[in-house]
Amino acid sequence: MSIAATVLETLRAEAANHGGAHVARAGLRIGELSGVEPESLRFCLETLVAGSDLDPLAFDFEICPWTRRCRACGAVFHVVEWNPACSACASPDTEAAGGDQMELTYLELEEP
Amino acid sequence: MRVPLERKVLNENDRIAATLRERFKTNGVFCLNLISSPGSGKTSLLERTLEGFAAERRVAVLTGDIQTDNDARRLAHFGFPVRQITTGGACHLDARMVERALEGWPVEDLEILFLENVGNLVCPTSYDLGEEARAVLLSVTEGEDKPLKYPATFHHADLMVLNKIDLLPYVPFKADVARENARRVQPGIEILDVSCTTGEGLDRWRAWLDSHL
Repeated sequence: MSIAATVLETLRAEAANHGGAHVARAGLRIGELSGVEPESLRFCLETLVAGSDLDPLAFDFEICPWTRRCRACGAVFHVVEWNPACSACASPDTEAAGGDQMELTYLELEEP
Repeated sequence: MRVPLERKVLNENDRIAATLRERFKTNGVFCLNLISSPGSGKTSLLERTLEGFAAERRVAVLTGDIQTDNDARRLAHFGFPVRQITTGGACHLDARMVERALEGWPVEDLEILFLENVGNLVCPTSYDLGEEARAVLLSVTEGEDKPLKYPATFHHADLMVLNKIDLLPYVPFKADVARENARRVQPGIEILDVSCTTGEGLDRWRAWLDSHL
């Protein structure tokens, strides 16, 4: 809920920076390792938006996979079933490559 | 009109955390963020840790809870500075709470600052507190699949402390499976087995802390 509140705070600030335009839509990028469950976040956002000054506001979620990079063959692969070994060459020598994202990507503004 | 933002949601938290991290680093303070479910033994581990420190050690604790200052009371017995952060509903600590709680404290004189997070394996994961290292506690009265259920938390941890190992003969917990699960989620994770009741493994835990000073 506090993450949702932070998102809305940012959107209000951006709307104010654009002469009080209404934010019609906002894009969010959420990684599988961000600690945020996209559907829970969507629920919290919608709950906070309903009946507020931001209503109506739609959200676009882009979900980013949990990925690792293989130090042996260089492949970047999606971690499936918590398996950290490279999906291309099976090497266990891999490093974190993505999935941490929790970002606001864009806004769509309607002029007041 | 479409306006690109490309900004971290927790931008402001991360900014404050970066300031804290710089402050800790400049002053040689090892800051450790302790995360676990409620009841895994964060406060017990800190009690045993403080109890074992000589009085001249420069150690302090910030302890977070939604309500009550019970943990700060438990920890204050040992003569080291302890402050309670009562989050008043929030299920995690954030960098601003830590910054505020440190106001007027001689952080510069410390060698170790423990941040005992609110008991929760989900939300604390997302909030950088400026710590140098993050430890997650797992106790043997929980499930050995916790690392798989909460991969984000274990993925971001440097150390897993497997606590309550004195109870292993009495519970169905498979410690080797728990360790394997943690390493699947975070291949580089260090793992220490401890019992805050018998004291087993606490020497290795203290050595781990000292290795970061």
